[in-house]
Amino acid sequence: MQNKAEHQAQQVWNLAELLARVDNDQELLHDLLGIFKEEFSRIKPSLEAAVAAGDLKKAADVSHALKGMLANLGAERAAAAAAKLEELASAGKQSALKDALNVLGLEASTLLPQIDAYAAEVRH
Amino acid sequence: MKILIADDEMLSRRLLEKTLDRAGYEVVVVENGKQALEKLCQPDGPRLALLDWIMPELDGPSVCRALRKRSEQSYIYLVLLTSKGSKLDTVHGLESGADDYLTKPFNAEELRARLRVGERILLLEDRLVEARENMRFRATHDALTSLLNRGAIMDLLGRELHRSQREKKSTAILLGDVDHFKRVNDTRGHIVGDEVLIEIAARLLGAVRSYDFVARFGGEEFLVVLNNCDPAFGPNRGEEIRKLFSCRPIHTAKGPVAVTMSFGLLQSADWGPKPLEHLLHAVDLALYRAKGEGRDCLRIAMPETKDEIAFDETPHPARQQN
Repeated sequence: MQNKAEHQAQQVWNLAELLARVDNDQELLHDLLGIFKEEFSRIKPSLEAAVAAGDLKKAADVSHALKGMLANLGAERAAAAAAKLEELASAGKQSALKDALNVLGLEASTLLPQIDAYAAEVRH
Repeated sequence: MKILIADDEMLSRRLLEKTLDRAGYEVVVVENGKQALEKLCQPDGPRLALLDWIMPELDGPSVCRALRKRSEQSYIYLVLLTSKGSKLDTVHGLESGADDYLTKPFNAEELRARLRVGERILLLEDRLVEARENMRFRATHDALTSLLNRGAIMDLLGRELHRSQREKKSTAILLGDVDHFKRVNDTRGHIVGDEVLIEIAARLLGAVRSYDFVARFGGEEFLVVLNNCDPAFGPNRGEEIRKLFSCRPIHTAKGPVAVTMSFGLLQSADWGPKPLEHLLHAVDLALYRAKGEGRDCLRIAMPETKDEIAFDETPHPARQQN
């Protein structure tokens, strides 16, 4: 389980790290944010459905994909939440999945407005 | 240099594609392991690959295992790039045949540096393959004329004779010797002698089909193997080859040198299953007859002649006559 100190050390969105990863290419960054928004809106319902149905294999696979995407984007806290969800699903801990999914939802709800605000700023 | 990215996740593909394109790679992008394997198995496919672990159809380690089973193709440097980050995963990934293991999110500088390591390994492999091919060529070819050497032609001829016997076809063996070559060396010098041998090799090679063999068999002796040669055409082909030398002199640094060659010809269909040494001895005797009967001519080794019964361990008579 991730402890509080680790959680606090992580950023909602490590934009500096992402900018370094894209070599300060704003056009690429904008592309990536667009892809993320689209993919996240597609993946999220599928993850929720897998958790609700107790489909552990699918829940693990989808949260793994989400973890990679969030990590690439520098969304540290949401990536850690997706990693936790993957870990629980892989370990067959079905009873803990709903709580973990809620944590991921909360992290995403903090992340998405930041991304939207930045995307709007870059556009102008 | 071509590089393959295999990842089922779109954001990762886009990010990697741009990063590697910017680093000067020719990027090939696929979305699953099966497509990755297909691309990497193509003859001109990428030799550097970044593979995600979890992918549809075939996962990254399975792609690595499938590629490592193929020993005939050039080495492909494989990097697993995944969000599976435990030590156990790293060990499993490397044991599957990956050369390197990186976790997401990647650091662009580190990724480029690790790919440069891969490029160095591939360059080293290319050099080793080139050196091995050079050594193989030197072991099977004559240094002066670049024709096949005696050992190589014996090996090829042995196999060709078996094949022609199996398929009930005929192979023609043509053994030629330069007439009075010693005189060329003595009067014009060895450098001119070498030039003559090089030109003879070129004319012989130019006169045969792509699937025939030409070898420098000894000092001034050449062996031509005409594969799948109808016995009715063998003597004509032999005559055509002989006339390549008598019809025009060889131009050397010290002026033109008139050269003729004598030939012995044997057609395997006339002889049935005989040991290679036996056939070579017979064709050598036919060449000896050509020398004895005035040179610049061709004589055929037939089983009913004395050539057939003269097989023993005596030295080659043709070589003694020059």
